[in-house]
Amino acid sequence: MSMFLVEFSQLLVVSFFAGAVGSLLGLGGGIIIVPVMTLFLRIDFRTAAGASLIAVIATSSGSAAAYVRDRLANIRVGMLLEILTSLGAITGALLVGRIAGRTLFVVFALVLMYSLVPTGQKILAELSHKASSGQPGQSAVSSRLALALRLEGSYFDPAKGRTVEYHLRRVPLGAAIMYMAGLASGMLGIGSGAFKVLAMDSVMGMPIKSSTATSNFMIGVTAAASAGIYFSRGEIDPFVAAPVALGVLAGSLFGAMILPKMAGTGIRVAFFAVIVAISVQMLLRGIRGG
Amino acid sequence: MEPRGSRDANPSRAVEKVVILALRSGVVLSAAIICLGLAMLIAKGIFSNQIGSGATPLPPRDLGALAAGLGAFDPGSVVTLGLVILIATPFARVAVSILAFALERDWRYVVITSIVLGILGASLALGKSLG
Repeated sequence: MSMFLVEFSQLLVVSFFAGAVGSLLGLGGGIIIVPVMTLFLRIDFRTAAGASLIAVIATSSGSAAAYVRDRLANIRVGMLLEILTSLGAITGALLVGRIAGRTLFVVFALVLMYSLVPTGQKILAELSHKASSGQPGQSAVSSRLALALRLEGSYFDPAKGRTVEYHLRRVPLGAAIMYMAGLASGMLGIGSGAFKVLAMDSVMGMPIKSSTATSNFMIGVTAAASAGIYFSRGEIDPFVAAPVALGVLAGSLFGAMILPKMAGTGIRVAFFAVIVAISVQMLLRGIRGG
Repeated sequence: MEPRGSRDANPSRAVEKVVILALRSGVVLSAAIICLGLAMLIAKGIFSNQIGSGATPLPPRDLGALAAGLGAFDPGSVVTLGLVILIATPFARVAVSILAFALERDWRYVVITSIVLGILGASLALGKSLG
């Protein structure tokens, strides 16, 4: 078998697992595939980030359709904040060439560790058999800016059996975090879902279900803003990006549809531990170099 | 400002339908073209050679080179076309959203969404000039 075929199938299989594990843990495929490509397959960081951005666009576009149909995603909030995420993504894509490779590994490790916090909390809650408590800090009225921009929304919650209405506030702070989310996305080749959810859920007071859905909806546009730059710089290698995009897309569909029925908390704890180990390795690679 | 005094917080079904259609067709079309390009690669028997080492033309970086590659039935260019369509999918999604908000007479969001499309367009120009 030729080297090319070996590398191609390796990328396809690894990306499938990255997509599946990512959706099982509530992470994007990008944040897992970039470390795997750079640490284990020794692929250049920018080539890995470019391929990952393509995978991020594919999974976001594929899953956003379902969220929009279920009316969980708030299209107005998404569109408004995409101004900031896409500006951030452009900044990130232009910065990546000016930042030393080791720094990128350190930043990536820190972002990955931060992204793992919500998943870790969820697993801990499951282990101690605590139902996740209601969300703090939701507002009964919209702030002036949120009202002017018609950012309020509602969705039907089947678990509660009723329609949940929500109002948003602290839009400027949320928007600032969105810019940072875009920056991380363009620089690291990830979807930055964790930061997007932070901005909407913790800062602006959007219910977690809507925040997650709106974040998924926004990720594709954010990634496209930097993917265009990577493409015109010739940093998207079609024979790396194609298997990664197809693999992550298939893996995340598999992870979303089939795995939750099979995988209990034990398997998720195991995968979680693996990703924690990978984040430490990313950090070490950044510190030690090589 | 409120065109019909509607209290509906979510955009109408019309917006959702076009957005879903844009996203779905983009992903399906690009995945199909990428697979076609890979099939062409296998058919050409290039799997036995190293890619990029002179055995095949280098992958195209701009639309002109892409068109030339497609004309020559270069598998790498076909795969790249699929990737370009994938990158273009969010662009298309934003563009159809402008039309959808216009149909709703939600002019504020027509402007906001147009700004997003403008930024996306600027990103392509920036990548070219600084790349």
